[in-house]
Amino acid sequence: MTIRVVKSGLQTTIQGRPRIGQRHLGVPASGPADPLSMALANRLVGNSAFVPALETTLTGMSLRFACDAFIAISGANAACTLNGSRVAQHITIAVQKGDLLVIGAATQGVRSYIAFAGGLCAQQVLGSDSTYLPAAFGGHDGRALMDGDELRLKDPAASAALLKTPPEFCLPMRDTWSVRAGRSVETIDVEQPERLFSTKFRIGNRSDRMGIKLEGETFVTEGNGQMPSAPVFPGVIQCPQDGNLFILSIDSGTTGGYPRVAKIARLDLHILGQLRPGNSLALLERSDEQAAQELREKHAYWQPWLPDISVGPIL
Amino acid sequence: MQSVGDDLISVSVADPAAAQALAAGLRDTGLWIEAVAGIDSVVVRFDNAALSRHAAREQLAESMATDFKCAEKSSKLVEIPVMYGGENGPDLPAVCETLGLTQREFIALHSGEYTVDMLGFIPGFAYIGGLDARLEIDRLPQPRQFVPAGSVGIAGGRTGLYALPGPGGWPLIGRTSCTLFDAQSDQPFVLDAGTRVLFTAVDTL
Repeated sequence: MTIRVVKSGLQTTIQGRPRIGQRHLGVPASGPADPLSMALANRLVGNSAFVPALETTLTGMSLRFACDAFIAISGANAACTLNGSRVAQHITIAVQKGDLLVIGAATQGVRSYIAFAGGLCAQQVLGSDSTYLPAAFGGHDGRALMDGDELRLKDPAASAALLKTPPEFCLPMRDTWSVRAGRSVETIDVEQPERLFSTKFRIGNRSDRMGIKLEGETFVTEGNGQMPSAPVFPGVIQCPQDGNLFILSIDSGTTGGYPRVAKIARLDLHILGQLRPGNSLALLERSDEQAAQELREKHAYWQPWLPDISVGPIL
Repeated sequence: MQSVGDDLISVSVADPAAAQALAAGLRDTGLWIEAVAGIDSVVVRFDNAALSRHAAREQLAESMATDFKCAEKSSKLVEIPVMYGGENGPDLPAVCETLGLTQREFIALHSGEYTVDMLGFIPGFAYIGGLDARLEIDRLPQPRQFVPAGSVGIAGGRTGLYALPGPGGWPLIGRTSCTLFDAQSDQPFVLDAGTRVLFTAVDTL
């Protein structure tokens, strides 16, 4: 009852629940870089949000099924085919033994999520199925999938109703993005703070699950850019001495010594998983109170389709 | 108390031991999603959908009024053989030049016994304080994208041990063959805050 990885793509990993409550040991969150898209895929096959699924990166991948299965694809815009015929994203697909599923290269966004009714088997390490590549643990032997790998379903008998994500819950992919953010502890030099929220940044090539480099403007922080190592979290924007801002993402370290000049608000963290080199990004300034209010509104918006949105929490 | 972001609050503390004690105490309250120590601060993450920032600050102030005991110093001593310089410590020549030391002088000053201030950054990474004042040096202006496992770096008056390969911004002065993190083990972390370590210079790993 296996699924064969025909083409593994640039970096396809098994992701599940983030690791919570272990940052004091230096253990990062991991889990899906875009948890909202993964939750949407899992929703279509009757799974809870963080049941282990596949996360692809840019190039897509292909799978040959040696068993029947119910699957769904969400996330980046990508042309997908089943046995050569186009299949839609954002619907439940009944796959049959022998079928070949091809996830095309992402045309907008970065990561596709492929969910399987009942979920994939994965190695649980430090309380989670999620792959953490830097330490090579979790998921499938702690590594990205390779051509020829065999994946197993946790529950091969799992079935699912055939669903379609309502259009108002399909996440739009873009080339031009904006995320809500607020100021953080260390301050940008007095003449520059406004620029932080008025610059159109370009997403740099050095962007992955650890973090995302912002290009287009450089900044100077008060002081010499050196500080004692302090706790950091996904969404924190650091400003190293060279002045190029760096957004920490889902696999980022738990402490860092570069000034923390801003943080992307919790409600928009899922967007980090879809920012593609060359895309543009604007930071929209929000106070902490505004960000909390808009988070509650976003939870209320998603609640009808994703009941776990705030208790999971997916956002 | 300072805001680090919409769901994060930072509090300043005197030193790494105080940060460790406060963070551990805050974790024990069960009120915080995360409570993480830095060198001179502790950051808590709270559920800002359920708890207002004002309420979170009050709760934090209340917790901080408790006198959290500093953890007993561990009696464990872990010897860490280090091969200094060469390809294991590619930044050692530049570091020595900046500090005005010969490599031999650097090694003599760096080897010896220290105490782990904290774990953090990536699994198994250890921040080790107490460096001789003559070894004070800044981080690299731009972090390296890849640092090999076992690398030994220094920055800001501390030694950092990279248990795993990954990115890193500390000038690298050597490398050890010690396994500092083993995900498969029941006790994945070899070092902890308070563990004593002994750096000894070796010629081969």
